[in-house]
Amino acid sequence: MDCKTACVLMSAAVDGEISFTEEQDFLLHLSQCKRCREEFDDAKKTKMIIKERIIRFRAPQALITTIMQLTDFNTRETEETLLYE
Amino acid sequence: MWAIIRIHLEPGRFQIMDKPAPTHQTNIPTKKEALPREERQKQLEFQNEAVVHLHSLYNYALHITMNPDDAEDLVQETYLKAYRFFNSFERGTNCKAWLFKILKNNYINRFRKNSKEPGKVDYDLIKDFYHSIKDTRRDSSEADTDYFYSLLHEEVYQALLSLPEEFREVIQLCDIEGFTYEEIANMVDSPIGTVRSRLYRGRKLLRAQLEGYAKKYGLNTDNDQ
Ligand SMILES: [Zn+2]
Repeated sequence: MDCKTACVLMSAAVDGEISFTEEQDFLLHLSQCKRCREEFDDAKKTKMIIKERIIRFRAPQALITTIMQLTDFNTRETEETLLYE
Repeated sequence: MWAIIRIHLEPGRFQIMDKPAPTHQTNIPTKKEALPREERQKQLEFQNEAVVHLHSLYNYALHITMNPDDAEDLVQETYLKAYRFFNSFERGTNCKAWLFKILKNNYINRFRKNSKEPGKVDYDLIKDFYHSIKDTRRDSSEADTDYFYSLLHEEVYQALLSLPEEFREVIQLCDIEGFTYEEIANMVDSPIGTVRSRLYRGRKLLRAQLEGYAKKYGLNTDNDQ
Protein backbone atom coordinates (compact mmCIF):
# COMPACT_ATOMS: atom_id res chain seq x y z
CA MET A 1 0.00 0.00 0.00
CA ASP A 2 1.18 3.51 -0.79
CA CYS A 3 0.53 6.74 1.11
CA LYS A 4 -2.23 7.79 -1.26
CA THR A 5 -4.24 4.65 -0.63
CA ALA A 6 -3.53 4.92 3.08
CA CYS A 7 -4.98 8.44 3.09
CA VAL A 8 -8.12 7.23 1.37
CA LEU A 9 -8.58 4.63 4.09
CA MET A 10 -7.54 6.90 6.94
CA SER A 11 -10.94 8.08 8.19
CA ALA A 12 -12.51 4.69 7.61
CA ALA A 13 -9.79 3.18 9.78
CA VAL A 14 -10.41 5.77 12.50
CA ASP A 15 -14.13 5.03 12.47
CA GLY A 16 -13.94 1.27 12.19
CA GLU A 17 -15.53 1.38 8.74
CA ILE A 18 -12.81 -0.67 7.11
CA SER A 19 -12.73 -4.30 6.07
CA PHE A 20 -10.46 -6.78 7.79
CA THR A 21 -8.09 -7.18 4.84
CA GLU A 22 -7.97 -3.46 4.19
CA GLU A 23 -7.09 -2.92 7.81
CA GLN A 24 -4.26 -5.43 7.65
CA ASP A 25 -2.76 -3.65 4.65
CA PHE A 26 -3.34 -0.28 6.23
CA LEU A 27 -1.64 -1.23 9.49
CA LEU A 28 1.25 -2.75 7.60
CA HIS A 29 1.73 0.54 5.79
CA LEU A 30 1.60 2.47 9.07
CA SER A 31 4.29 0.29 10.52
CA GLN A 32 6.53 1.35 7.66
CA CYS A 33 5.51 4.98 7.23
CA LYS A 34 6.02 7.53 9.98
CA ARG A 35 4.08 10.26 8.24
CA CYS A 36 0.92 8.23 7.83
CA ARG A 37 1.28 6.88 11.34
CA GLU A 38 1.34 10.40 12.76
CA GLU A 39 -1.55 11.44 10.63
CA PHE A 40 -3.55 8.48 11.82
CA ASP A 41 -2.84 9.33 15.46
CA ASP A 42 -3.83 12.94 14.83
CA ALA A 43 -7.08 11.92 13.21
CA LYS A 44 -7.95 9.63 16.10
CA LYS A 45 -7.12 12.35 18.59
CA THR A 46 -9.22 14.89 16.71
CA LYS A 47 -12.19 12.58 16.73
CA MET A 48 -11.82 12.02 20.44
CA ILE A 49 -11.57 15.72 21.21
CA ILE A 50 -14.76 16.43 19.28
CA LYS A 51 -16.54 13.56 20.91
CA GLU A 52 -15.60 14.55 24.41
CA ARG A 53 -15.52 18.31 24.35
CA ILE A 54 -18.67 19.31 22.58
CA ILE A 55 -21.28 20.13 25.18
CA ARG A 56 -24.68 18.59 24.73
CA PHE A 57 -27.54 20.84 25.60
CA ARG A 58 -30.73 19.89 27.26
CA ALA A 59 -33.77 20.51 25.10
CA PRO A 60 -36.00 23.18 26.67
CA GLN A 61 -38.86 21.87 28.76
CA ALA A 62 -41.37 23.67 26.57
CA LEU A 63 -40.15 21.74 23.57
CA ILE A 64 -40.30 18.43 25.40
CA THR A 65 -43.85 19.22 26.46
CA THR A 66 -44.84 20.12 22.92
CA ILE A 67 -43.46 16.89 21.56
CA MET A 68 -45.24 14.92 24.24
CA GLN A 69 -48.48 16.69 23.41
CA LEU A 70 -47.98 15.59 19.88
CA THR A 71 -48.56 12.03 20.93
CA ASP A 72 -51.14 12.92 23.55
CA PHE A 73 -48.95 11.64 26.29
CA ASN A 74 -49.59 14.75 28.27
CA THR A 75 -53.14 14.00 29.20
CA ARG A 76 -53.81 12.12 32.36
CA GLU A 77 -56.41 9.95 30.72
CA THR A 78 -54.07 8.87 28.02
CA GLU A 79 -51.32 8.23 30.47
CA GLU A 80 -53.49 5.86 32.46
CA THR A 81 -54.70 4.18 29.36
CA LEU A 82 -51.22 3.62 28.09
CA LEU A 83 -49.34 2.79 31.19
CA TYR A 84 -51.80 1.06 33.41
CA GLU A 85 -53.83 -0.93 31.05
CA MET B 1 -47.80 10.73 38.61
CA TRP B 2 -48.27 13.71 36.37
CA ALA B 3 -44.79 13.84 34.94
CA ILE B 4 -44.73 10.52 33.22
CA ILE B 5 -41.48 11.02 31.43
CA ARG B 6 -38.38 12.43 32.94
CA ILE B 7 -35.59 13.02 30.56
CA HIS B 8 -32.17 12.85 32.01
CA LEU B 9 -29.25 14.25 30.13
CA GLU B 10 -25.68 13.26 30.50
CA PRO B 11 -23.07 14.79 28.29
CA GLY B 12 -23.34 12.98 25.04
CA ARG B 13 -26.33 10.87 25.78
CA PHE B 14 -29.72 10.84 27.32
CA GLN B 15 -32.39 8.41 28.04
CA ILE B 16 -35.90 8.30 29.17
CA MET B 17 -35.96 7.22 32.74
CA ASP B 18 -38.16 4.47 34.02
CA LYS B 19 -41.77 5.29 34.20
CA PRO B 20 -43.20 5.40 37.68
CA ALA B 21 -44.51 2.06 38.79
CA PRO B 22 -48.25 1.66 38.46
CA THR B 23 -49.92 2.34 41.74
CA HIS B 24 -53.44 1.25 42.56
CA GLN B 25 -55.96 2.45 40.01
CA THR B 26 -57.63 -0.55 38.61
CA ASN B 27 -61.18 -0.32 37.53
CA ILE B 28 -61.41 3.32 36.68
CA PRO B 29 -63.47 3.67 33.55
CA THR B 30 -60.89 5.51 31.52
CA LYS B 31 -61.38 7.12 28.16
CA LYS B 32 -59.75 4.24 26.37
CA GLU B 33 -62.38 4.22 23.71
CA ALA B 34 -61.53 7.77 22.77
CA LEU B 35 -58.35 6.55 21.17
CA PRO B 36 -58.33 3.60 18.79
CA ARG B 37 -56.03 0.80 19.79
CA GLU B 38 -53.79 1.20 16.71
CA GLU B 39 -53.34 4.85 17.46
CA ARG B 40 -52.30 4.08 21.01
CA GLN B 41 -49.83 1.50 19.79
CA LYS B 42 -48.46 3.96 17.30
CA GLN B 43 -47.98 6.49 20.07
CA LEU B 44 -46.16 4.04 22.26
CA GLU B 45 -43.91 2.92 19.46
CA PHE B 46 -43.27 6.50 18.42
CA GLN B 47 -42.31 7.35 21.94
CA ASN B 48 -39.89 4.44 22.24
CA GLU B 49 -38.40 4.80 18.79
CA ALA B 50 -38.51 8.50 18.01
CA VAL B 51 -39.06 10.69 21.05
CA VAL B 52 -36.00 9.22 22.77
CA HIS B 53 -33.86 11.09 20.23
CA LEU B 54 -35.28 14.48 21.12
CA HIS B 55 -32.11 15.80 22.73
CA SER B 56 -29.90 14.68 19.88
CA LEU B 57 -32.19 16.33 17.37
CA TYR B 58 -32.29 19.52 19.37
CA ASN B 59 -28.51 19.64 19.58
CA TYR B 60 -28.14 19.06 15.89
CA ALA B 61 -30.74 21.70 15.13
CA LEU B 62 -28.87 24.13 17.36
CA HIS B 63 -25.65 23.44 15.56
CA ILE B 64 -27.08 24.06 12.14
CA THR B 65 -29.34 27.01 12.92
CA MET B 66 -27.22 28.67 15.61
CA ASN B 67 -30.45 29.96 17.03
CA PRO B 68 -32.41 28.37 19.90
CA ASP B 69 -35.81 29.50 18.59
CA ASP B 70 -35.17 28.19 15.10
CA ALA B 71 -33.84 25.00 16.59
CA GLU B 72 -37.03 24.47 18.57
CA ASP B 73 -39.19 25.14 15.53
CA LEU B 74 -37.16 22.79 13.44
CA VAL B 75 -37.34 19.98 15.95
CA GLN B 76 -41.04 20.49 16.40
CA GLU B 77 -41.68 20.41 12.66
CA THR B 78 -39.54 17.32 12.40
CA TYR B 79 -41.54 15.44 14.99
CA LEU B 80 -44.82 16.54 13.50
CA LYS B 81 -43.77 15.22 10.13
CA ALA B 82 -42.23 12.10 11.60
CA TYR B 83 -45.39 11.25 13.49
CA ARG B 84 -47.54 11.81 10.46
CA PHE B 85 -45.35 9.58 8.32
CA PHE B 86 -44.34 7.14 11.00
CA ASN B 87 -45.89 4.29 9.03
CA SER B 88 -43.29 4.82 6.33
CA PHE B 89 -40.45 4.42 8.79
CA GLU B 90 -38.78 1.13 7.98
CA ARG B 91 -38.92 -0.89 11.17
CA GLY B 92 -35.60 -2.26 12.29
CA THR B 93 -33.59 0.54 10.74
CA ASN B 94 -32.08 3.41 12.69
CA CYS B 95 -34.89 5.74 13.67
CA LYS B 96 -32.48 8.43 14.74
CA ALA B 97 -31.02 8.51 11.23
CA TRP B 98 -34.50 8.70 9.78
CA LEU B 99 -35.35 11.67 12.04
CA PHE B 100 -32.11 13.46 11.21
CA LYS B 101 -32.83 13.12 7.54
CA ILE B 102 -36.27 14.66 8.02
CA LEU B 103 -34.80 17.46 10.08
CA LYS B 104 -32.19 18.20 7.48
CA ASN B 105 -34.76 18.29 4.69
CA ASN B 106 -36.90 20.63 6.75
CA TYR B 107 -33.92 22.84 7.32
CA ILE B 108 -33.07 22.98 3.63
CA ASN B 109 -36.66 23.74 2.67
CA ARG B 110 -36.90 26.48 5.21
CA PHE B 111 -33.76 28.16 3.96
CA ARG B 112 -34.91 27.90 0.38
CA LYS B 113 -38.31 29.27 1.19
CA ASN B 114 -36.86 32.23 2.99
CA SER B 115 -34.23 32.45 0.26
CA LYS B 116 -31.87 32.83 3.15
CA GLU B 117 -28.34 31.72 2.55
CA PRO B 118 -26.61 30.04 5.44
CA GLY B 119 -24.31 32.91 6.23
CA LYS B 120 -20.74 33.12 7.25
CA VAL B 121 -19.93 32.28 10.82
CA ASP B 122 -19.99 35.29 13.08
CA TYR B 123 -17.64 34.50 15.92
CA ASP B 124 -18.89 37.12 18.34
CA LEU B 125 -22.39 35.88 17.82
CA ILE B 126 -21.33 32.33 18.49
CA LYS B 127 -19.52 33.35 21.60
CA ASP B 128 -22.55 35.19 22.96
CA PHE B 129 -24.84 32.40 21.97
CA TYR B 130 -22.63 29.78 23.46
CA HIS B 131 -22.27 31.63 26.73
CA SER B 132 -25.92 32.47 27.12
CA ILE B 133 -27.01 28.96 26.37
CA LYS B 134 -24.29 27.45 28.49
CA ASP B 135 -25.34 29.47 31.51
CA THR B 136 -28.95 28.52 31.34
CA ARG B 137 -29.07 25.08 29.87
CA ARG B 138 -25.88 23.36 30.69
CA ASP B 139 -26.25 20.17 32.60
CA SER B 140 -25.65 20.97 36.23
CA SER B 141 -23.34 18.03 36.71
CA GLU B 142 -20.82 19.91 34.63
CA ALA B 143 -21.25 23.20 36.42
CA ASP B 144 -18.20 22.78 38.57
CA THR B 145 -15.72 22.00 35.82
CA ASP B 146 -12.91 24.47 35.84
CA TYR B 147 -12.66 27.47 33.64
CA PHE B 148 -10.01 26.03 31.41
CA TYR B 149 -12.03 22.98 30.60
CA SER B 150 -15.08 24.97 29.64
CA LEU B 151 -12.97 27.34 27.63
CA LEU B 152 -11.68 24.42 25.72
CA HIS B 153 -15.23 23.28 25.09
CA GLU B 154 -15.86 26.59 23.49
CA GLU B 155 -12.66 26.59 21.49
CA VAL B 156 -13.44 23.16 20.14
CA TYR B 157 -16.90 24.32 19.24
CA GLN B 158 -15.58 27.37 17.45
CA ALA B 159 -13.01 25.31 15.62
CA LEU B 160 -15.78 23.01 14.45
CA LEU B 161 -17.95 25.90 13.36
CA SER B 162 -15.12 27.45 11.42
CA LEU B 163 -15.09 24.50 9.02
CA PRO B 164 -16.94 24.71 5.70
CA GLU B 165 -20.37 23.21 6.14
CA GLU B 166 -19.75 20.09 4.08
CA PHE B 167 -16.92 19.08 6.39
CA ARG B 168 -18.55 20.18 9.60
CA GLU B 169 -21.67 18.26 8.80
CA VAL B 170 -20.04 14.87 8.37
CA ILE B 171 -17.91 15.35 11.47
CA GLN B 172 -20.97 16.17 13.53
CA LEU B 173 -22.89 13.23 12.21
CA CYS B 174 -20.00 10.84 12.65
CA ASP B 175 -18.16 11.93 15.77
CA ILE B 176 -20.92 13.54 17.80
CA GLU B 177 -23.96 11.57 16.72
CA GLY B 178 -22.25 8.30 15.98
CA PHE B 179 -23.90 7.49 12.66
CA THR B 180 -22.38 4.94 10.32
CA TYR B 181 -20.94 5.99 6.95
CA GLU B 182 -23.89 4.43 5.23
CA GLU B 183 -26.35 6.42 7.31
CA ILE B 184 -24.39 9.63 6.78
CA ALA B 185 -24.15 9.02 3.04
CA ASN B 186 -27.91 8.71 2.97
CA MET B 187 -28.39 11.88 4.98
CA VAL B 188 -26.10 14.06 2.92
CA ASP B 189 -27.10 12.46 -0.39
CA SER B 190 -23.55 11.53 -1.32
CA PRO B 191 -21.66 8.30 -1.92
CA ILE B 192 -19.83 6.68 0.99
CA GLY B 193 -16.51 7.51 -0.66
CA THR B 194 -17.38 11.19 -0.44
CA VAL B 195 -18.26 10.88 3.23
CA ARG B 196 -14.93 9.17 3.81
CA SER B 197 -12.87 11.83 2.09
CA ARG B 198 -14.80 14.70 3.69
CA LEU B 199 -14.13 13.21 7.09
CA TYR B 200 -10.48 12.87 6.23
CA ARG B 201 -10.12 16.42 5.04
CA GLY B 202 -12.43 17.83 7.70
CA ARG B 203 -10.43 16.28 10.50
CA LYS B 204 -7.23 17.64 9.05
CA LEU B 205 -8.68 21.14 8.91
CA LEU B 206 -10.03 20.79 12.40
CA ARG B 207 -6.72 19.58 13.67
CA ALA B 208 -5.02 22.65 12.26
CA GLN B 209 -7.60 24.91 13.91
CA LEU B 210 -7.26 23.23 17.28
CA GLU B 211 -3.51 23.44 17.12
CA GLY B 212 -3.87 27.14 16.50
CA TYR B 213 -5.91 27.52 19.68
CA ALA B 214 -3.60 25.29 21.62
CA LYS B 215 -0.59 27.36 20.62
CA LYS B 216 -2.41 30.51 21.56
CA TYR B 217 -2.84 29.18 25.08
CA GLY B 218 0.56 27.58 25.25
CA LEU B 219 -0.80 24.07 25.44
CA ASN B 220 0.95 21.02 24.27
CA THR B 221 -1.49 19.17 22.07
CA ASP B 222 0.42 15.95 22.35
CA ASN B 223 -0.44 15.71 26.01
CA ASP B 224 -4.01 16.61 25.43
CA GLN B 225 -5.51 13.15 25.55
ZN1 LIG C 1 2.42 6.62 4.19
